Amino acid sequence: MKLKVYRYNKKLDSPHYTTFKFRPKPGMTILEALFQIQKQFDDSLAFHYSCRGAVCGTCAMLINKVPRLACRTQLMPLLKGELKINLISYHTIEETNVPWDPEEEILIEPLPHLPVIKDLIVDMSTFFKYYKFIEPVFKPANPAPEKERLIEPNALTELELYTNCILCAACFGACPVDGKNPEYLGPAALAKLYRFHIDPRESNGSERLELANIPNGWWACEFYGNCTRVCPKGVPPTIGIAKARKEIGNKVKSQED
Amino acid sequence: MDTITSVKGISSFSKLEKSQGHSLKEKHNTPLSQMKEIIKGSSKADNLQNVHCHDVLIIGGGLTGLRASLQASNAGINVAVVTKVHPLRSHSVAAQGGMNASLGNVQGEGGSTDSWEAHAYDTVKGSDYLADQDAVARMCREAPATVIELEHMGTVWSRLKNGKIAQRPFGGAGFPRTCYAADRTGHNILHTLYEQVTWRNIPVYEEFFVTSLVHDSGRCIGCTAIEIMTGNVHGFVAKAVLMATGGFGRIFNKSTNALINTGDGQALALMAGVQLKDMEFVQFHPTTLHGTNILISEAARGEGGIIVNKDGKRFMERYAPNSLDLAPRDVVARAMIQEISKGNAYDGGYFHLDLRHLGAKLIMERLPGIRQIAMDFAGVDPIKDLIPVQPGQHYSMGGIDVDINGATSLLGLYAAGECACISVHGANRLGGNSLLETVVFGRLTADKIIEDISNIPKPDSRPVQSAMQKIDARINQILKKDNGKHLFSLRDDMVQTMFDKFGIFRDSKTMKEGLLEIKNMQNEISHVSIDNKDRAVNQALIRFFELEFMLHLAEAVGISALKREESRGSHTRADYPLRDDNRFLKHSIVSFHNGKVEISYKPVKLGMFKPKERVY
Repeated sequence: MKLKVYRYNKKLDSPHYTTFKFRPKPGMTILEALFQIQKQFDDSLAFHYSCRGAVCGTCAMLINKVPRLACRTQLMPLLKGELKINLISYHTIEETNVPWDPEEEILIEPLPHLPVIKDLIVDMSTFFKYYKFIEPVFKPANPAPEKERLIEPNALTELELYTNCILCAACFGACPVDGKNPEYLGPAALAKLYRFHIDPRESNGSERLELANIPNGWWACEFYGNCTRVCPKGVPPTIGIAKARKEIGNKVKSQED
Repeated sequence: MDTITSVKGISSFSKLEKSQGHSLKEKHNTPLSQMKEIIKGSSKADNLQNVHCHDVLIIGGGLTGLRASLQASNAGINVAVVTKVHPLRSHSVAAQGGMNASLGNVQGEGGSTDSWEAHAYDTVKGSDYLADQDAVARMCREAPATVIELEHMGTVWSRLKNGKIAQRPFGGAGFPRTCYAADRTGHNILHTLYEQVTWRNIPVYEEFFVTSLVHDSGRCIGCTAIEIMTGNVHGFVAKAVLMATGGFGRIFNKSTNALINTGDGQALALMAGVQLKDMEFVQFHPTTLHGTNILISEAARGEGGIIVNKDGKRFMERYAPNSLDLAPRDVVARAMIQEISKGNAYDGGYFHLDLRHLGAKLIMERLPGIRQIAMDFAGVDPIKDLIPVQPGQHYSMGGIDVDINGATSLLGLYAAGECACISVHGANRLGGNSLLETVVFGRLTADKIIEDISNIPKPDSRPVQSAMQKIDARINQILKKDNGKHLFSLRDDMVQTMFDKFGIFRDSKTMKEGLLEIKNMQNEISHVSIDNKDRAVNQALIRFFELEFMLHLAEAVGISALKREESRGSHTRADYPLRDDNRFLKHSIVSFHNGKVEISYKPVKLGMFKPKERVY
């Protein structure tokens, strides 16, 4: 088995790929393989890691042209083609002309749409700039009571869909719109905005939705659905975006009536 | 990975080719302003220019650090957070089970209602009477307000039918007391606190690795750090420094901890002349996924899951006839090791956790995260399959010795959360109490700091600058070394030694062997070299510093364990099987003088509850 890894060190060279050949053991993940490379072959290989259990969102990268968490992606099923996720293609994928044989090799590249710092490490500041733009903080409707605010357990079902987001940016990397329009807030930020909007404890009205009522907010999404397909936590940004658009539309309509 | 030896040259990895990629070039069409940001200060002259001044500096961006930073910021204090990862990647995010608080939203047996005193009793009993009871009382009294406070900040907790915060049973607790957010409690709380920090624009120095604490005239006045992305050395000057760096689980093989949990904070404090406390008390969680040791939350047993041996038989009835699988972690982990020695485990030393009888609905509602982990990392679906589990290192009860306010013996240095030992967990922590500790003492320690710093003038920055020069020279020295011992194999050796020689069962002979091995490794690290000579993004360099830290902690754990000739909580001596209150109802204190580790003791603060035998 071969692992073809994207390398970049701004001081030394232009981007290139290095291929490593090895025998994987069953269950081995991409993250483990990267550690093995670092350990045994090249301690300069750079990548982000933390929990290694698919909960912290640190190690998202492009694996076989799909943004995934390296820690939960196993090598063997990839080669067997079992982990296929069909994405609507976009230029970052299309324009890659590195020779790559999916039956023998696994291709590992940094997350698209963000500047590369070194090898597989990207600069996430734009991603978090958009996160911050949508004012990701709870704004309660009423002053805090002495005890907890009550929530119907049923109301949690939809809310939890969005609170599950780990901000790994896999969706951002998979979004064809983010690829062509660097100003688009992207699926994670919009899903986060929607999470606060539907929180039953939040202030009423749709002021929140207005934050992204801009060309590069709700209206820039083209519903490719790649974000939902790659999300390791099952967050469906496109559903939230569609509902937000409808609500804004209804509001405008009722104002016109 | 067993098939791959870690010695260079006989790796099964080999480099095949280096191919130019024309693709992805758009990644580098980065706006110039951004690239400048990334490469700033790469010349040597700039290495020492970066000195930052804040009133309060918090090292660590997990639950404790973020909660403390909010408190300071709310008080109008100039506070900053320094963290070696982005705050949302902190290990706090992985906490699954929940946070204990006697809200009384769910009644106990016979309609009884929970109280903070009942919570304190369970905690002290769980601690095997080694916890300081004043600290425990403080934590348990603050618990309900802490859960409510998080709710008011927006944390989404799981709910009861009546809309109140839900609570479930946990090991060693007399009431269903654990408030939870499915099995993603840490995730929900960490994201909430980060949202609040972002909203207040509290400065966070992300991916800065702290290399030393700086003191001047008997006060801690800041620290030095490497900015990992550039390799530049930075200095931080502050009136007070709060350590909130989490646990040191990664000194052990088979750990549930994130890979970043290398105990940097405890080691930095020790090197700065501050004592560590109760380092021998290391918790082994009974249910970690066989192979990867990713945590399978105690919530699984709280919801009714049972552990069975290779004959499919439940065995906890023989070890804890009343509490069964919901006995405290030390009790269940020991029972598993005993079952292994009787030949009742599967080959490779694991058991099965059975959740199937709970049904798909409950599993999907309350344990969705662990179901996903079981599917991703073991290829089993707990709705229809058994989960292979084994005990693994999970938590560090010991840590930086602090008083009830979080202050250390060094003026200006404070610690809270898992890196500290305020001693609310004693010899064994109950599930659901660690998240509680982080948020309660993050807040209370910050309050104390706010009070203390009002009269302190701004410290002199010169000692920080000279410490920066030292670290800078040290980095050059490390990078200059060639053809030395392999860094990663040394780390592998250490974690193996710690698990084998200082694991769930300990005895004098093996611990003495272990200590010798650790001592040898401490000598060997001065001969280690790393191949990567770049300053920027040099992860091997960071791991070198981490390993140096971990080897100090390994020795602290080893010596404390060897000297404690009794069995108490998580510390089980095969050669001293009984608890010995006459000799050892006291805290172990480790200090570091002139390159030597020394051990002493100090009394446990008793109070409401008299020590008695623990029966579950």
